[in-house]
Amino acid sequence: MKISNTFLTVAVLGLVLSACTGGGEAPPSAFPGIILDGTSAYLSSNLHVYKFDAKTGTEGWRFPPANATATREEPLPGPFSGQPLKFGDVIVVGDSTGRSSANHSLYGLKESDGSVAWRFTQGKKEYTDGVATDGKLIYAPNGDGTLYAIDPNQKEGNAPKLVWKFETQNKLWTRPLVANGVVYQSALDHHLYAIDAATGKEIWKFKADAPIGAQPTLINDILYFGSFDSKFYAIKAADSSKVWEQAVDGWIWNNPLIEDGTIYIANVRGAVFALNQADGKIKWKADVSDTVHAQPVRQGNQLFIMSMNTYAYVIDLKATPENGVMKAEIFNDKMARRLLSTPVLVDSNLLVPLFDGDVKVARVNLASKLNEAFFPQPAPAAK
Amino acid sequence: MLDFLIYNPLTNIMLLIYNVLFNNYALAIIVLTALIRLATMPLTTRQQAASIKMQAMQPKIKELQELYKNDPRKLQEETRKLGFNPLGGCLPLVIQFPVLIGLYTAIQRSLAFNPLALLELGKHLYGFPPFTHLSSLVPINSVLFGIIDMGALPNYFSVSVIIPLLVVGSTWLSNKMMMTPSTDAQTQQMNRTMGMMMPLMIGFFSLQTPIGLGIYWIVSNMIGVAQYYLIKPKMDALKAHYGVGGAGAAALAPSGTAKLGDPDKPMFSPPKSKVRAKPNAKRETPKKPSSGK
Repeated sequence: MKISNTFLTVAVLGLVLSACTGGGEAPPSAFPGIILDGTSAYLSSNLHVYKFDAKTGTEGWRFPPANATATREEPLPGPFSGQPLKFGDVIVVGDSTGRSSANHSLYGLKESDGSVAWRFTQGKKEYTDGVATDGKLIYAPNGDGTLYAIDPNQKEGNAPKLVWKFETQNKLWTRPLVANGVVYQSALDHHLYAIDAATGKEIWKFKADAPIGAQPTLINDILYFGSFDSKFYAIKAADSSKVWEQAVDGWIWNNPLIEDGTIYIANVRGAVFALNQADGKIKWKADVSDTVHAQPVRQGNQLFIMSMNTYAYVIDLKATPENGVMKAEIFNDKMARRLLSTPVLVDSNLLVPLFDGDVKVARVNLASKLNEAFFPQPAPAAK
Repeated sequence: MLDFLIYNPLTNIMLLIYNVLFNNYALAIIVLTALIRLATMPLTTRQQAASIKMQAMQPKIKELQELYKNDPRKLQEETRKLGFNPLGGCLPLVIQFPVLIGLYTAIQRSLAFNPLALLELGKHLYGFPPFTHLSSLVPINSVLFGIIDMGALPNYFSVSVIIPLLVVGSTWLSNKMMMTPSTDAQTQQMNRTMGMMMPLMIGFFSLQTPIGLGIYWIVSNMIGVAQYYLIKPKMDALKAHYGVGGAGAAALAPSGTAKLGDPDKPMFSPPKSKVRAKPNAKRETPKKPSSGK
């Protein structure tokens, strides 16, 4: 009987642990990102960065190439996450976090063929949410808690020149906002930093009661952002003085969508809020059942919310809230994968990055509500 | 369901302990693991006792199996009469698993070593007292002694490689302590194989998971060893009573160890309706089943 117990122990532990460690392609641990540039789309998703046609789904290139092999001296780049950045004729992406991550590099990939134009290796940990630029420098937040400002137009060997770096007390897992010569960097050390984009000197810092995971939005010199302290803030960009704050009943880890005097935001418990931009008062609430990480997307009177429960929801903004509650309806078929990244609109379709699985992007037709596996294109059936 | 009943409470308690212990995550792992192991100690003890009892019954069971090899129903009936319950040893273990896996999950969640894990943690934290401030604690300070990041995977070329090695060593030690000696050659061989394979397997898994979970394995194993020494007198007495591990029933427990009281009424008595095995009592040879003709 002792043997049976030991076998049971080993078997159950084996099952549990193999579920934790996974098999085949290691599952991602940070969120994919997609951008559009004309008819081309660039996608960072787990093991590769892809260029593909946003209308047809035809692949242009992938980095690293499908046939790339790792060596002891040179592990494969990746995994990748966060929004790629187009800077001149290069696409900037960084090694993200994950089991196979070994490089901690930032890459400039040639837009034409995806080959490496340059590589920055001074970051000590992961780049999870992408980088930002003001057209002159690239601002790259790293998991080592440092924001690196690099100039790809000035090289030191094959690497862009490091212009300055700004250190914080915890991981930087959020892409910064750059506006009017200031870099606004959210940090997990509970602060939002305003940093001089040219010199890297701190202008001010605003302290929340918990980490700040979302990128702020700047409108009329006011910064809007949420925090893990379950509050949404509006502060003056000039001096960080608070304009208003609003309790939102859960961590906020997505960027707000602000249109027509209304802020649309959702929390990790699946509650969607419409706040009055002027004073932060709640106009209405809605519920989408599970965690929201993606920024809401609006087209006309429809507000689309991506949920971790694999469904896309739509809220009809023309409707009248009942007792302050709006109805969020499942928009389309279940997409079978967690939806944690902000989609992009292409004509009358939403291109939705899928968090895990072999299909990287689903296409949802806003008219027919049908979704289909869009990228990579399935191989033609053998005759 | 498990989230609501086990994983979420343990995750929140883990962070609360972390906060109480001056934001020292290694200490929090040690304290919570110790508390859970203490809470499940009655089950561990019961499982070990059942294991000893089952072992004592083995010769009789084998005899019955041989005798009723063509009559499974009769075999079942006769083994039931002996008080043999195949689930007796497993059930306490099965009950413990959700809790131990819950502890493992709580550690993994609270480490929040990547963006997805942190996002998951966000929806599992309670928003009511005394847990309201837990969001301000994340991401936790997971650096041990200023050199080992408990949220990172072990690195072959750094000091952190010591963690998987300690996992292997402590699992081996724990298994060695807990293994009930057997006189059966085949069982002995299997024990030896398992004693080698299990530590290596757990060690391999600890290479694939954050260091904090490796620390949990080590602490859990060491507490298991301590538990073994705590309940050893009782188990020795029980073994002596059942005549397991070479000790006959006459080999009474040494003075100062647990008292068995009435030898016919062991510490972990089966339900009254069942007939208890008495390995040292004169065995009655079961009658051969009639051919039915």
